[in-house]
Amino acid sequence: MTRELDRLIARRIGRRDLLRYAGIAAGAGVLAACKQASTAAAPGSGASRVPIAQEPGGLKVYDWAGYGGGEYYPKDEKATWTTPYQDATGDTPTFVLFENDDDGYTKVATGNAPYDVVHPCAYRFKDYVDLGAVQPWDPSLIKNFSQLTPLLEQFGQINGQQYFIPEDWGYIAPMYNADQVQPQEDSWSLLWDERYAKRIAWINTLEMLVIAGYYNGVADPWTMTDDELAAQRDFLISKKDLVSFFWDQSYDFWLKFKRGDVWIGYAWPDAFGYASAQGMNAVYMQPKEGRIHWACGLGLFADSQNYYHAHEYANVWSDVKTAEFLENFYYYGHANTTVDTSKLPPGVVKALNLDNLEAALSPPLSHQESWISRRDVYADYWGQVKAA
Amino acid sequence: MASVDADRSWRRRERASTAGLLSGPVLWLVLFFLGPVLYVAAYSVGGIKIFPTDAGVVSVGDWKRFLVGGSVYLGLFWKSVRISLTVSVIVVLLAYPVGYFLALCVKKRKYVLLLLIIAPFLTSYLLRVLAWEVILGDTGVINSFLTSVHLRSAGHPITWLLYSQFSVVVVLAYVWVPFVALPIFVSLDNLDLSLLEAAGDLGASRLRTFWRVTLPLSLPGVVAAFVFVFVPTIGEFVTPLLVGGPSGYMYGNAIQDLFTRGTDWQTGSVLAMFLLIVVAGLMALFGRYVRVRSVAA
Repeated sequence: MTRELDRLIARRIGRRDLLRYAGIAAGAGVLAACKQASTAAAPGSGASRVPIAQEPGGLKVYDWAGYGGGEYYPKDEKATWTTPYQDATGDTPTFVLFENDDDGYTKVATGNAPYDVVHPCAYRFKDYVDLGAVQPWDPSLIKNFSQLTPLLEQFGQINGQQYFIPEDWGYIAPMYNADQVQPQEDSWSLLWDERYAKRIAWINTLEMLVIAGYYNGVADPWTMTDDELAAQRDFLISKKDLVSFFWDQSYDFWLKFKRGDVWIGYAWPDAFGYASAQGMNAVYMQPKEGRIHWACGLGLFADSQNYYHAHEYANVWSDVKTAEFLENFYYYGHANTTVDTSKLPPGVVKALNLDNLEAALSPPLSHQESWISRRDVYADYWGQVKAA
Repeated sequence: MASVDADRSWRRRERASTAGLLSGPVLWLVLFFLGPVLYVAAYSVGGIKIFPTDAGVVSVGDWKRFLVGGSVYLGLFWKSVRISLTVSVIVVLLAYPVGYFLALCVKKRKYVLLLLIIAPFLTSYLLRVLAWEVILGDTGVINSFLTSVHLRSAGHPITWLLYSQFSVVVVLAYVWVPFVALPIFVSLDNLDLSLLEAAGDLGASRLRTFWRVTLPLSLPGVVAAFVFVFVPTIGEFVTPLLVGGPSGYMYGNAIQDLFTRGTDWQTGSVLAMFLLIVVAGLMALFGRYVRVRSVAA
């Protein structure tokens, strides 16, 4: 053996030969991978519709952290989703998490998400449908569907079919520590207020371009031209030095806000909820340019063999108990509007404008987070902001 | 005749045994290195289509945009090179005395001390990096100390300690010093001590002996150490992600973002292949000057 190794080290085997054979093998591997890639995104047309008792079960849910996987509130998450679903079906779901919508979509688009249910947000819904990755739901199989507000129902309708069941929703708005910050006006401009240099956090997504678009008076920041995008890019680059960090996880932002590292940030309602629960003097601003509201929903994978199980899971998600959990624990809204708001923390009703939802989810108070047809172009411009 | 047959049989066995020995490593290399690299290379010129938004047309357009189109990513690459060079120089300067002390000053238990130096490797990389947040943060150890001794007024911490290029350089230097001390130690440990004695006998001072004998003989270790830091840190993305902030964003972060935050894998592939080519070129260049045996004995 030692002698053989010595021979190898002494290169008695031709290096050219070795590379040639390795290259051939690698080429074959690439060809095989190409074939796999070209078929990965194909829609599953053979989804069976056997009765629920004959379905395999073991529902696989592809979701955000904190929505059943037990990362944040293990007991409450289990009580909200797992137990009611188990009671209804006798099945136990498993959870696979994604970090953000883009990350989640990428995995699906590359054919690496063999799951049953997915939980993206509305700006990605059409991408999933175009990819052929999801199939329409049958709302008549979801008992609680009738309790979901029509205000959000349209989020999940594409080509006249209910491809997504709208569930959770929330805002994007500036949040600040009122003990440290005195805004000159209620505006997104707080995110680039020079008085608070290095005390500001932006989110690490291309939505910063949209925010800049609203601030700079672009008519429709969700469909910006190259010139408009370039203007927002240059604007953000000119303000970037004021920023302490870009956050990827809302909880990271909250921790730094709590620690006092930052006083101002692009925020989701959960950060405001945490701050309120801790008694911090935080303000969730209603900027004059309008907040942005997002909605996320459940999608049913085209290849799912758990069609009826998935509907039962969507039913649990559409239940008022889920709404109570989200509003109490995350300060997120829910499409089920039958919650008794008097039982919610007082701050959440005001923060989410739950007492007048129709006005709250319409301009000028709030703009709907929309699908961006040129998302890759936006992503490229946002990449340029970060790289500059 | 019998001896010819025996010779042939021996050669056959030798070839079979060689092929058997090689098959594992070659297969591994092909499956997990060459294959993915070729895949990424093919993607960089549009030879592979995964997303609906992929053009699916073979073109070197993205390469042209990156190399001669005034791409912001090329500027980011040079920024990363600058940061990596800074880190590499600092790390080598810090690690050399450590290696020198262990190899030439310590007589007993030098390997115990060596183990102590590399002990940080026994803890999680993530934890080690995150610990620096506690040290460098606005309310961290350094700022709290400066406030307590009245060198900074309360509420006015030094904000550039964290989420800056400074914090990236500090943390990367911290992470790599123990690792880099090893090749320098090996290089110095293999020195023929009689050469140092001869220099002394010929009247050279300790400093002159170091400059004229020790340092030149340990240069292969120093160069190897430099390469060990420089090559991985050009593509570094975890540390800048955790402590870099907007100004500490590096080339590796751009590659990661292009692959995970969007579907522009073609540009991501161009950036990744460019990095690979540069690193391979650097390795080839350094390989000509570094005698591997002299630092890996």
